[in-house]
Amino acid sequence: MLARQSLVRAASRAAVAPGAAPSGARNMATLREIELRLKSSMKMIASTKLAKAQRAMNAGKEYGLANAEVFEHANDKAGTNKLFIVVSSDKGLCGGIHSSVSKATRRALANDAESPLENDKSVDPASPIAVIGDKSKNQLVRTYGANFSMTFNQIGRDIPTFADAAAVADLITKSGVKYDSVVLVYNKFVSAISYAPAAMIVQGEEALKESDAFKAYENEDDATKDLAEFSLANAIYAALVEGHACEQSARRNAMDNASKNATDMIASLQMQYNRGRQAAITNELVDIITGASAL
Amino acid sequence: MTAAWRSIFTYNKFAQITARAVRQSLKEEQRIAAEKRGLTAVRYQQWESGQGGAQVVLSEELAAKSS
Repeated sequence: MLARQSLVRAASRAAVAPGAAPSGARNMATLREIELRLKSSMKMIASTKLAKAQRAMNAGKEYGLANAEVFEHANDKAGTNKLFIVVSSDKGLCGGIHSSVSKATRRALANDAESPLENDKSVDPASPIAVIGDKSKNQLVRTYGANFSMTFNQIGRDIPTFADAAAVADLITKSGVKYDSVVLVYNKFVSAISYAPAAMIVQGEEALKESDAFKAYENEDDATKDLAEFSLANAIYAALVEGHACEQSARRNAMDNASKNATDMIASLQMQYNRGRQAAITNELVDIITGASAL
Repeated sequence: MTAAWRSIFTYNKFAQITARAVRQSLKEEQRIAAEKRGLTAVRYQQWESGQGGAQVVLSEELAAKSS
């Protein structure tokens, strides 16, 4: 709305300047004004989007924390088959978000020293992988394509909903892939300008059943299975919203940097152009004057 | 006594179906706000030994099954 108003103003200003020699310069000034208005309104839009994403993240994190508490007392006696779920999204122009998550997954599968799984270095490099988001899928398909069990997309266009997470969890459970625990690789929101890859571990049904603390409740097997499935959906939801918030802030920062670099480049090129133009005019003048003095 | 739905779908599906029923029963204003939380446009692919299968839109698959 602001942009449209200033465009109208600029058009009327340009029309009301007949015969003014530096009309090109005047148009440039109004163009700059348009740019400024556009940039500040885009920044406002980006900031509100980020604020919304951050609010959703704070709400969604509680689900993940509640999950973690349940599994804190479940021991690691259960087997070590891990299913990796890589949480990213389909859209680009967000800096290193997708590559950060893909690299962390590669490090985890290679049992690298800097794997996001700090304590556990016994990961099978043939572990099944499920990827959410086309960008990470394309980055991982070449090296770990054989491990892929399922991939998902169309998540993250807007704030991820619990319906998204439940759908993913449902499809993973239905697909029959065997695992003892699930490792969710996602981007943790450190601050508005930084994020870091992290891993969230969700134990499977067996680990809950084996846990002594859980046995005390004497739940039916059905209820335990339900809890395991629901906690997987919870964890996926928490990872999705946090990853989404990281992506929004990274996109805003990347766009800010890009526009700043572009503005700097425009300014320096402008200087060069003016210098060149003035040099050409000076040369012409010298020619004319020396020619005139020769007559 | 195991519920009948256990042999057909997972708990997450059950929760989503019941959530949809609850959302549809709300008053107009709250329903509009709640419907947004139930939206999902997920597409998925099964992968076999490095090859991706067809991309299936989940909501369309469900609509096809129920029709």
